[in-house]
Amino acid sequence: MNWLCDLMEPRVMDDDMLKLAVGEQGPQEEAGQLAKQEGIVFKDVLSLQLDFRNILRMDNLWQFENLRKLQLDNNIIEKIEGLENLTHLVWLDLSFNNIETIEGLDTLVNLEDLSLFNNRISKIDSLDALVKLQVLSLGNNQIDNMMNIIYLRRFKCLRTLSLSGNPISEAEDYKMFICAYLPDLVYLDFRRIDDHTKELAEAKHQYSIDELKHQENLMQVQLEDEQARQEELEKHKTAFVEHLNGSFLFDSMYAEDSEGNKLSYLPGVSELLEAYKDKFVIICVNIFEYGLKQQEKRKTELDTFSECVHEAIQENQEQGKHKIAQFEEKHLSSLSAIREELELPNIEKKILECSADISELFNELMMLEMQLVEQLEETINMFERNIVDMVGLFIKNVRSLMAQCRDLENHHHEKLLEISISTLEKIVKGDLDEDLPDDLRTLFVDKDTIVNAVGASHDIHLLKIDNREGELVTRIDSWCTHLVDKIHKDEIVRNRKRVKEINQYIDHMQSELDNLEYGDILD
Amino acid sequence: MEVLREKVEEEEEAEREEAAERAEWVRTEKMMRPVEVRKEETTLTQETLRDLEKKLSEIQIPISAELPAFTKDTIDISKLPVSYKTNTPKEEHLLQVADNFSRQYSHLCPDRVPLFLHPLNECEVPKFVSTTLRPTLMPYPELYNWDSCAQFVSDFLTMVPLPDPLKPTIKSEEKVLPKKYTIRPPRDLCSRFEQEQEVKKQQEIRAQEKKQLREEEERLMEVEKAKPDALHGLRVHSWVLVLSGKREVPENFFIDAFTGHSYSTQDERFLGIESLWNHKNYWINMQDCWNCCKDLIFDLGDPVRWEYMLLGTDKSQLSLTEEDDSGINDDDDVENLGKEDEDKSFDMPHSWVEQIEISPEAFETRCPNGKKVIQYKRAKLEKWAPYLNSNGLVSRLTTYEDLECTNILEIKEWYQNREDMLELKHINKTTDLKTDYFKPGHPQALRVHSYKSMQPEMDRVIEFYEMARVDGLIKREETARTMTEYYQGRPDFLSYRHANFGPRVKKLALSSAESNPRPIVKITERFFRNSAKPAEEDVAERVFLLAEERIQLRYHCRDDHITASKREFLRRTEVDSKGNKIIMTPDMCISFEVEPMEHTKKLLYQYEAMMHLKREEKLSRHQVWESELEVLEILKLREEEEAAHTLTISIYDTKRNEKSKEYREAMERVMHEEHLRQMETQLDYLAPFLAQLPPGEKLTRWQAVRLKDECLSDFKQRLINKANLIQARFEKETQELQKKQQWYQENQVTLTPEDEDLYLSYCSQAMFRIRILEQRLNRHKELAPLKYLALEEKLYKDPRLGELQKIFA
Repeated sequence: MNWLCDLMEPRVMDDDMLKLAVGEQGPQEEAGQLAKQEGIVFKDVLSLQLDFRNILRMDNLWQFENLRKLQLDNNIIEKIEGLENLTHLVWLDLSFNNIETIEGLDTLVNLEDLSLFNNRISKIDSLDALVKLQVLSLGNNQIDNMMNIIYLRRFKCLRTLSLSGNPISEAEDYKMFICAYLPDLVYLDFRRIDDHTKELAEAKHQYSIDELKHQENLMQVQLEDEQARQEELEKHKTAFVEHLNGSFLFDSMYAEDSEGNKLSYLPGVSELLEAYKDKFVIICVNIFEYGLKQQEKRKTELDTFSECVHEAIQENQEQGKHKIAQFEEKHLSSLSAIREELELPNIEKKILECSADISELFNELMMLEMQLVEQLEETINMFERNIVDMVGLFIKNVRSLMAQCRDLENHHHEKLLEISISTLEKIVKGDLDEDLPDDLRTLFVDKDTIVNAVGASHDIHLLKIDNREGELVTRIDSWCTHLVDKIHKDEIVRNRKRVKEINQYIDHMQSELDNLEYGDILD
Repeated sequence: MEVLREKVEEEEEAEREEAAERAEWVRTEKMMRPVEVRKEETTLTQETLRDLEKKLSEIQIPISAELPAFTKDTIDISKLPVSYKTNTPKEEHLLQVADNFSRQYSHLCPDRVPLFLHPLNECEVPKFVSTTLRPTLMPYPELYNWDSCAQFVSDFLTMVPLPDPLKPTIKSEEKVLPKKYTIRPPRDLCSRFEQEQEVKKQQEIRAQEKKQLREEEERLMEVEKAKPDALHGLRVHSWVLVLSGKREVPENFFIDAFTGHSYSTQDERFLGIESLWNHKNYWINMQDCWNCCKDLIFDLGDPVRWEYMLLGTDKSQLSLTEEDDSGINDDDDVENLGKEDEDKSFDMPHSWVEQIEISPEAFETRCPNGKKVIQYKRAKLEKWAPYLNSNGLVSRLTTYEDLECTNILEIKEWYQNREDMLELKHINKTTDLKTDYFKPGHPQALRVHSYKSMQPEMDRVIEFYEMARVDGLIKREETARTMTEYYQGRPDFLSYRHANFGPRVKKLALSSAESNPRPIVKITERFFRNSAKPAEEDVAERVFLLAEERIQLRYHCRDDHITASKREFLRRTEVDSKGNKIIMTPDMCISFEVEPMEHTKKLLYQYEAMMHLKREEKLSRHQVWESELEVLEILKLREEEEAAHTLTISIYDTKRNEKSKEYREAMERVMHEEHLRQMETQLDYLAPFLAQLPPGEKLTRWQAVRLKDECLSDFKQRLINKANLIQARFEKETQELQKKQQWYQENQVTLTPEDEDLYLSYCSQAMFRIRILEQRLNRHKELAPLKYLALEEKLYKDPRLGELQKIFA
């Protein structure tokens, strides 16, 4: 009666249930005794079976970080949830439940086998994260739109699919359609797809598939282009000269400059502007190219440095390993000698010798490490000097180039001012030939207004140039500081780690010896 | 004087070379005396010439007397062609010319050794040296180039030392193996002062030692050096000179026919050149040989340096003045002292020797009887032709400790075509170590097998061909108490397994190696780094101390670390105070972890690891045991192979490969039969009848009909004759049988059992013959009308009897 009651009662996954299940499914016999003695940590569990338990709600699974296989079939689960932490999951069985939508699987990137057989699902989606999916079971659901199949095209590893018992499987074309749109599929509804069927399906749906493929290809190409552009931009950004290989900066100067735009309609200004732009862009391109070159140089410098450091560390490590190997050889033989020795004074003497050996090893290893620290410090300092010099030179040159830009701007400003004043004079005299746009004409009220307008435009331009320069300098400076800091920090971390490692090893050796001593005395 | 047993062969062999490259035979006297300064006259009058002629004819040449005879033991003169036994008039003439030349020479250069111009051949007939050469192109590509050709010649020649003209002892060969003196490279100097001092001291000691060593070596060298050669510079040798120019020969060089090696013309061992010849001419060297052959200029067209015997035969002559009939060559007035008119137009007669023929068998055999022994200083090299030795031995090099070649140092034996792929056997006599080298393809993938004894559980190293074995084993070393195996390319990354054995436990019952394996004390296994695992979980070495019931693990070292994790398991099963089995306690697993981890502290983890290791231990023990078995198997196989020493025969070797030979012969037979059949079908049945009619005319209808009838009646007659013949034989046999039966009936009582047997066997044979004849007759009767009809049909269709068809058409 009890079991029936259990069956009827909807349950929530709670700690007790999980513990019970883990205990039942964990190690058996001798190992089981040990497990019981120590208690099993959920983190260590690799597979878990929770079927026929009338579970309504999935919960408390977050501790099973390393779970590979989870079976939750034959319950009454309505919503997929609580699986976020189970990123190592490879196999997930949720068949014979009451699930209506696919959800909550976005973190399961390692999932290969997913069963949602006999649920109430009507649409295939939200599976994007499952890039390794090989087996998908969706039979006995309520999927009624053939277009769901097309969604499955993105799973390059998908080989097995079951969809029987869905409304779409009633369709006359069901099998052909799937075979045609999922050409890599090997098993459909638990049957192998033979080559003949594949050919037939391909022939039947060739046109639509070709079109689909074409579209997919286009998308792919677009995506790749976008990626390539993004990469290029990234590369420029690392050189701190992005967007300087064209008129981007110049255009940005005029983007927020309403006065400047108005003034460009003055007679003669457009030609002036054209010439100004040409010259300006040339300088920008110069900066850009110079920046890329410098970036290359910095990279080579960094690479050579890293290589040198790496080699030095490797060599030092080899020496350390060699010393340890030598020590261990000797140590082992002395240990066995101590074990065989019978006379107490001799034992003590030998133990003392051993202990001296250990401290000798410690000294040697520490000396090696000190040596390395000194050597590396010197190298790092040298590198720091070089890279700072490089960055300094780069900044200096960029500044001078930017100054050229400013000169151009000043020059342009003077010219513009001249034209404006002469135009104003003409307007005052009333002998202006050309028609000026209305909003421009409003500027020519008096000299102050026009001078202010031209000045404002000039200020905006200078500000833009200053900003760009400032941005570049700040970024490269911070890059440089970060780099140097990181190198120093890495070296410190490395040193700490090594010292810790040596100490740990020596401690272990010493305690081993002490134990031996202890044991011997006991004997 | 050069007296070589294989003289003629030698020259003939060399001839091939000569045909291909411009080789010249060089004859020399070592250490030539300086050539005398030439005579004063530059122009000659008729008188002086006549005077000279008179003088010349008086000169006696001591040469011929010294010419020793050939050893004739191996040459059967009677089968040689006439050209060997007689001289043609032209040859006679040439000999006269040569004699004259020789007389002039000994007159002008009395101090020099007489010329080697016309030795006696195997038939005791004097022949001019140039005519002993006959350029021949051989069908073997190996003989097309000088190096392989020279090697072949040297293999073919056998060196027989001459008796010492001064002492009756026999000198060993003069060639000394080049001895290299190597110095150890000096050790690197460390920068530290103390070490420097130490090194310095050591160096001094070493220098001292080295000096001593060198002195010792020099002393040895001195002792070993051939005693001062009493005949130095007096020996005569014959060798080949190849002139540069043709066939991309960049410079002149010598080939020694005995060794087949090439030497530079600068080589000091060639003391000088007396004369040289090829199949066209003979030259005397007029250059000074004080500096060996180093300063010689081999421009044979230069008459100052090379005095030629025949004018106008060689292309390298400077002036070919054909039109000059007066007999005096203006260009080289020093040269033509006494050159007679006919000399100029005289050219070398054809060679009298037969064209050389080398059968493929002989070519493969190379040396006479397929065997050759070369004695070197402290070494002996023996060569055999392939397949000559039933065990495939083709050469053996024996090196000795002493000059007298009594104490063997080591023996190297090379094999060919062995089915077990054995290539080289190396036996070191001092250490008694034998090493066998195998070519790829041994059934057990053996590469090298070195051993002292074929008994198991002894010192032995077996190397295997990489990739040839499924288990990736490349080397197995064995000593009496250990076995070490090296692996490569295994999916479990195992690289090394070492097993220590304890002494065998004595059993009461008699035991063999299989039934009582040695107890394994310790197994050490090492693994390559498996990059799929983190270093602290990737075992580098595991040691199963079987006797102590301990298992030690050492893990790989992480890239940025210098220490590696270790773990030691005590797999002793103990019982607690209540008598329960202790499954796992913390002191059963002692670990040192570079980066302490949580989960490894768990007893469960340790328990599982230990269980795993226990299983692995069992497997490893099994593996060691299997390896021991395999060694036994290999040894057994090797012994069998050594005993059988079967040779493989290429399927292309149609002579030796029985199957292939049979097949070839069968093919030939089929071809022959096919040919015969074709011949038969081509027999023209109308030919005898057509022959009666005038040829070329078209047959009239009447003639055609007659022809047809004749042909048919003739055929009918033949069929009848055949039937009669068979009938007659049948009757004869029957009669004879009846007679015999009658005779038997009459004499049955008196017959011996043997006679009776004879009679019975006769009867059965006769009955058989009769039956066969009866069958043949019946068959003939059946077939004859058919054959007749077939011929008739054929005749109707014969185009030559086209007239016939018209009637029936």
